[in-house]
Amino acid sequence: MKKVLPFIKTVKLGDVLIIFMLMGLIIFIINKSWNTPIGQYLKIEKNNEPPKIISLNQIKEEEIAGLLGDSNISIVDGKARFSKAPCTKKYCIHQGWINKVNQTIVCLPNQITISITDGSESYDSVNY
Amino acid sequence: MVVRAMTPLTIKTNTEDHFIAKLAAIAIVLSIIEFFLPSPIPGVKPGIANIIILYTLVKFNLQTAVWVSLIRVFVSSILVGSLMAPTFFLSLFGAISSLIFLFIFQKLPKKYFSVISLGIIAAFGHILGQFFIARIWVIPHDSIFNLLPLFLISSLIFGVLSGFITDTLLEHKTNRLPN
Amino acid sequence: MIFRNLIFFLIIFLCGCGQKDRVYQYKDYIFGTIIDIKIYGETENKSKQITNLIFDDFQRLHNYLHPWEKSLISDMNHAISTGKSFIIDDAEIIRVLKENTELSQKTDNFFNPAMGKLIALWGFHEDNIKQSIPSSSVIKDFVSNMPLMEDLTITNNTVSSKNKKFQLDLGGYAKGYALDRAKIILQNNNIKNALVNIGGNIIAIGMRGDRNWIVGIQHPRKPSAIASINLLPGWSIGTSGDYQRYFMMNEKRYSHLINPISGFPSANSQSTTILIPPSKNSGVLSDVYSKPLFIAPTEIKIEIAKKLNIKYFMIIQNDEKILISNEMNKVITWIDLKDEKGITVY
Repeated sequence: MKKVLPFIKTVKLGDVLIIFMLMGLIIFIINKSWNTPIGQYLKIEKNNEPPKIISLNQIKEEEIAGLLGDSNISIVDGKARFSKAPCTKKYCIHQGWINKVNQTIVCLPNQITISITDGSESYDSVNY
Repeated sequence: MVVRAMTPLTIKTNTEDHFIAKLAAIAIVLSIIEFFLPSPIPGVKPGIANIIILYTLVKFNLQTAVWVSLIRVFVSSILVGSLMAPTFFLSLFGAISSLIFLFIFQKLPKKYFSVISLGIIAAFGHILGQFFIARIWVIPHDSIFNLLPLFLISSLIFGVLSGFITDTLLEHKTNRLPN
Repeated sequence: MIFRNLIFFLIIFLCGCGQKDRVYQYKDYIFGTIIDIKIYGETENKSKQITNLIFDDFQRLHNYLHPWEKSLISDMNHAISTGKSFIIDDAEIIRVLKENTELSQKTDNFFNPAMGKLIALWGFHEDNIKQSIPSSSVIKDFVSNMPLMEDLTITNNTVSSKNKKFQLDLGGYAKGYALDRAKIILQNNNIKNALVNIGGNIIAIGMRGDRNWIVGIQHPRKPSAIASINLLPGWSIGTSGDYQRYFMMNEKRYSHLINPISGFPSANSQSTTILIPPSKNSGVLSDVYSKPLFIAPTEIKIEIAKKLNIKYFMIIQNDEKILISNEMNKVITWIDLKDEKGITVY
């Protein structure tokens, strides 16, 4: 209790106001972007190249050449993850599986981004 | 034959320069410690060097804070070997954007706003600057916006913390810099 | 003041990076099909205005070319069926007729717009398909004296035919022709970037900003795309599929793509897709040339592609195996393909 006291003494009304405003903004953005259904397609994006879209409804090991080398992406049971990456920290692999629309894993060093889509935005028009 | 005496090159420094140097040195050390700290979520860092920038801003002025901030960005990038790499630009634009936000908000009435507000604004500005540059240059796809909430939450938490720590520093060391 | 600054900066940061260049999209229902036009990098006013010009032109074409509703062509068909000659005072339509004759001959009559009566016999000349199989003797009788485009005599502005069964059906041509018309109207009005989709046939004009237009290719048996393709500036894509106009009887599928040799719907493929590089009539070619590839027997499909100089094609056979040209295989991105072993690359 004693340790919290100086904090309470420091905080002023305006601080609280700013904290609440930011929390509101964050909740608004989360509601908009994360409250989404399970997606059907995986979008693989490399720098300055059109996205590659593949179905999540398959078992596949996709190899993508990035800035540093090849990254592997595994697709199993409608989910996707990075399974191999040439970067040193392997953050992209530790992020694990994604399957909901707009979920994204970015591999910054290798400049590859994977994200889940529902398929509606993956092309401009359909030929039939 | 005339031999000219070699005069040693001297730069005249004033007390402000000394403060800048000391503060920047501390900020650089903090940056480097942070660089080697393991992070549970990629890209999420507490930004402890921000404490020094806030301290400088309140204790001195914005101009000094700009110096300290920019020196920190360049020198720590050189030391960890990422100068001119994407992470350097993320760091640089984060710092610049953070300073812009501080510039706008530095005149917040002290009666209602403590340094905690500044901490939040600095952290928020930092992350927005990084996102801006990441979107237009490092990863030119809108998908990175999905990561925004995560970074905003962390900037809020670490912003409050750094503001609070700065406040304690300002109270304890009223007139002297920590050595 | 502070808060005005805050809002100002938030707008710059949040919108400045998130905003995309606008694409204006317009839809209409002409030729009994959906027309979908996307225009990039123009003002809303101009996009809307030019799109309306295109829709108006399509309505005009509809009134000329519709095979069974009241149109110039159906009037001509009526005149021919009663053995009379018919006067067409329109150079554009005469050109269209001549181009159809030429294309029909090039495709060894696998593309045969003269056999409208056969299509009608199968009940496809109605908005609601009749769902009945004509008697085989009627079909045999028709095929034995198959009307061809060559039967149409064009002298100046007068058309006539010695074959009273001749009935022009431009269903395999009109959408492609409309694509080429759309291209001309867009270019004349200085629109550099657009994507026009007429009942599945698509032409790309320019690009979508800094990337090409991306087009999905419909899976013939699923409500989703099987693949996608970057449609480069000026290129057209066309598909003939048995999943658009068809009826099922005794678990057998009867599509509107009828083989002029047998008189029966062709059943060896589910769909054929072709890409046509930029040319004056690339829209027409993308529509017309997908037909012979769909209709012809499997053994001669590749040969026909070669003869017609179709470098980019993909044929999804009835056994779900995929025949694809080497060129096409290089540019296609598979979206929904469970087994890549089913692909044969030529």
